[in-house]
Amino acid sequence: MSGTKTVGLKIDGQTVQAPEGTIVLKAAELAGISIPHFCYHPAFEAEGNCRMCLVEVEGLPKLELACSTVVKEGMIVRTSTPRILQARKDVLEFLLAEHPLDCPICDKAGECKLQEYYDRHGLFAGRFVEAKEKRDKKVAIGKGLLLDRERCILCTRCVRFLRKVTGTGELGVFERGVRAEIGTYDGVPVGNNYSGNLVDICPVGAITDADFRFKTRAWFLKKGPTVCPRCGRGCAVVVESVSGYPLEEKQRRVFRIRAGENPAVNGWWICDLGRAGRRDIDENRQVRITRKSAPEEKVSREAAIEEIAGRILGIPQAQRGARIAVVLNSLLTCEELALAEKVFAKGLGLPGVYFADPMPGEADGFLLTGERVPNARGVLEAGFSPRLPNLDALAASVEVLLVFGSYLLEHFSEEAISRALAGIPSKFLFSACAGPLDRLADFVFPVALPAEKSGTYINVDGLRQTFGRAVEPPPGVVSEREILGCLANGLGLNRGGPDAC
Amino acid sequence: MSEDAVRLIPADDSSWGLEAYLRRGGYEAARKAVTSMAPQDVIAEVRRAGIRGRGGAGFPAGLKWSFVPQRGTAPRYLCVNADEGEPGTFKDRAILVRNPHQLLEGMIIAAFGVGIGKAFIYVRGEYDRIAGRLGEAVAEARAQGFLGREVFGTEFGLDVVVHFGAGAYICGEETALLESIEGRRGQPRLKPPFPAVVGLFRSPTVINNVETLANIPSIIGRGADWFLARGLPKDGGTRIFSVSGAVRRPGLYELPVGTPLRTIIETHAGGPPEGVAIKAVVPGGLSAPVLRPDELDVPMDFDSLSRAGSMLGSAGVIVIGDRTPIIEVLKVTARFYARESCGQCTPCRLGTSWIHKIVSRMAEGRGWPADIDLIRDLADGMKGQTLCPMGDAAALPIQALVSKFRGELEQAMSQ
Amino acid sequence: MSYAPSTATLKKIEGMIAPYPERSAALLPILRAIQEESGCVSPEAEAWVAAKLGIRPIQVREVLSFYTMFRRKPAGKTTIQVCWNLSCTLAGAENLIGFLREKLHIGPDGTTPDGRITLETVECLGNCDQAPCLQIDGVDHGPVTRDRAAALIEELEAHE
Repeated sequence: MSGTKTVGLKIDGQTVQAPEGTIVLKAAELAGISIPHFCYHPAFEAEGNCRMCLVEVEGLPKLELACSTVVKEGMIVRTSTPRILQARKDVLEFLLAEHPLDCPICDKAGECKLQEYYDRHGLFAGRFVEAKEKRDKKVAIGKGLLLDRERCILCTRCVRFLRKVTGTGELGVFERGVRAEIGTYDGVPVGNNYSGNLVDICPVGAITDADFRFKTRAWFLKKGPTVCPRCGRGCAVVVESVSGYPLEEKQRRVFRIRAGENPAVNGWWICDLGRAGRRDIDENRQVRITRKSAPEEKVSREAAIEEIAGRILGIPQAQRGARIAVVLNSLLTCEELALAEKVFAKGLGLPGVYFADPMPGEADGFLLTGERVPNARGVLEAGFSPRLPNLDALAASVEVLLVFGSYLLEHFSEEAISRALAGIPSKFLFSACAGPLDRLADFVFPVALPAEKSGTYINVDGLRQTFGRAVEPPPGVVSEREILGCLANGLGLNRGGPDAC
Repeated sequence: MSEDAVRLIPADDSSWGLEAYLRRGGYEAARKAVTSMAPQDVIAEVRRAGIRGRGGAGFPAGLKWSFVPQRGTAPRYLCVNADEGEPGTFKDRAILVRNPHQLLEGMIIAAFGVGIGKAFIYVRGEYDRIAGRLGEAVAEARAQGFLGREVFGTEFGLDVVVHFGAGAYICGEETALLESIEGRRGQPRLKPPFPAVVGLFRSPTVINNVETLANIPSIIGRGADWFLARGLPKDGGTRIFSVSGAVRRPGLYELPVGTPLRTIIETHAGGPPEGVAIKAVVPGGLSAPVLRPDELDVPMDFDSLSRAGSMLGSAGVIVIGDRTPIIEVLKVTARFYARESCGQCTPCRLGTSWIHKIVSRMAEGRGWPADIDLIRDLADGMKGQTLCPMGDAAALPIQALVSKFRGELEQAMSQ
Repeated sequence: MSYAPSTATLKKIEGMIAPYPERSAALLPILRAIQEESGCVSPEAEAWVAAKLGIRPIQVREVLSFYTMFRRKPAGKTTIQVCWNLSCTLAGAENLIGFLREKLHIGPDGTTPDGRITLETVECLGNCDQAPCLQIDGVDHGPVTRDRAAALIEELEAHE
């Protein structure tokens, strides 16, 4: 941003240039110095209640909060003097005094700020020998979230999130002093589409998700950043999974999806719909190529592709436009769509490539868009005019049908699809999940889900986002890019180009 | 003018009303200010007098008024802190009941000086049964044209609203008071920004104690020099000392700033009862660290008490006799802060509670000497590190008790 | 069962809103008015106030639960609040509290078995030169010597 003044200050002896108005905590980050804190969150104004981020500012007698002190030209800040270390130890000791010794059973272990800072501060011995306050440890506050009031450090991030971000205000602080506690109002549980963020922002294990409770340990999770495919927003997400130990050697499980940070798209948040996408990645997957006529038979990809190519090439070139149909979806990446365009539009000369997508829903006024596909813009950029097929027309003239995804079911009844497909001699289904269409196809090909692919999506605002593979697909399962590449080879379209499979 | 005219609490309880107040020269200073002075000159005179806040913090009132930005179209507010929660303090109550018009007059002058059109008097909820006269005084003043629109027939107007608290010591802290008026939990705000710039309803606001404002008419009417001459050069005027505890004549004593504590206790309040010796004295409300009998010659002014390791605070003098085990004092103190902590920030919420638990155990006879060191450490963890001054208010008196009376506490433990 | 204040209280409440530049600031005085009439502020009253001021019921409860003078459940017909802070303790508040609890048969929940009288301990009432002091339904009494306490008990028991 041109025109913003920068301010020069010294932090722990380092000279730092920061834009006017920056808080000391952020300026320190710029210098690679992380100042511990609980209640501060960049999405909110400074709160100042945890008292963990106190620093020394030369010339001021008391320690000052790094989260609320704005940088001034020539300011000299120290973040690790003995006085500050003692102040931090004081805060930790106070928090730990009433904090339950739950680490062995707490989901937050391994990613808990209290643990992290206590560890950094030398694991000092506790001096609290009184009786701790007894509080409710499993309060269902709504949407599968559980509040443990003994663990809560009253940073109020959750309360502030619901007031300032969702504007729904379901949580409040009741009572005062050490009796103060967080809670909902009777009969008004947390009920918005962003509730999962409460777990992400809770610095300790006070708010946890029943969906994740007791299932694994944070340190086993492999973190895979990617882009959420469940709507057109393209929020940055992190898919967290375990492959192998402590599961079985060949087992893979996705345990949760968390928000990734992207100032240009979703800031720090994702919606609950995106989080729920976790289940799709593991549940009900197609794992092997199945031939309808011989379901037990083991079919190799090369063999299956050869058969498909064979049926396509069996139709004279002049008739391919009328007798071959392809149904794609808008979850394909830009790279896959470009390849599909090369293979089907250019290569086979098909005038219409159809699209069947998840039905749109209601936009929620924040991140969730009405469209429930991640790459509608990519589809247009690839030169397609997406439209649903006419089933009767397909039944009447098509001899080879390739369907990518099972979304036809969202637009037509199973019966209608079944009837239409009955009249089509060769039907090939490429789908990530098992479903009712499987029995109608001659070949069912498993495909990878977006989290298992790399590629580019263009979001609802036209922003291109390229992502890498966040989690390994099931063994033997590949993405549409590889399948189309193989098909291109099989159809003789590729001539050894880079997309060869 | 009679002596009564300048006393903050008239001797005669029946002279609280408007007529009696006018008879002793009431509202003359306000008239002088509003009709013939420039607002900046009002502030200047109060600054010259150097009157320090009489609520507890002791911040110079005139200086505080000068922090309100001169320019700006935002409404401004005056909040009168009549929360009087500091244990051992009962002077503002007497002003509200026996001299409400002097408070109102002080408010008019302050509001005129700073450019304020609306004032809220925040009265602690426990005083609601005795606040009738305050309400009547407001009505009387309005009827006379001293409040409301066109005060003294000028363009200046001042609305006064009486707002009651509901039982929270922390609402005596100025930003918690603002939160409470705004209809929220009394949780102090981060400063900066300061109320003079962002205060009530986010507007520039001045918050003053009842006694502070009740002194303003005299400062304007008789001048800063007069005010200074009544006390000390750097700390002028009188203070109303609330005296209670082990004394023969507990009550309110309006005396010059700088009067020695021993004089207040012995000459005015009659000293301890027969057969009782003084063990300790709380000089400025419970939040002021306790003084030992050999420390009672201290002059009661801000600087002297500060040098003595305590504070003038609300000038609430509580005399503790030698029949009172110090553990009792410690117990009451620790319990008070634990119950009154708003709970917002870590050190106060958890520190006051932890200390209370230790002290309760000590009071039950299950303490050991290491507890004293632990209490001191925990108090250190609260000092200067909390969101609002209540952290210090809790930590300092407790530290003083366990330090100055360590011997007695340890001895009790060994029994 | 929904809540509605009496006509008189409603009028009072409506008058309380105007002096504040923001409606929601009238919350404390309104809660006091409701409690004065009904003895406490019930969940139904919370909902009523919230609607009146354009805030959420949870915000009403946050405030109610913060301040000690507000009640969410009814107390005895008569409330005695005894100060146990320093000056009053020095003057024998602990004994006074014990005496009252015994003579009035106050149970562990702070109320008499017939629910008529509630006894609570409170912090400094600002009446320290009259120590030990207490408030009965908000009215100050002090110094409450043993004789005075006995007399007060008699008065309370006389009023059925």
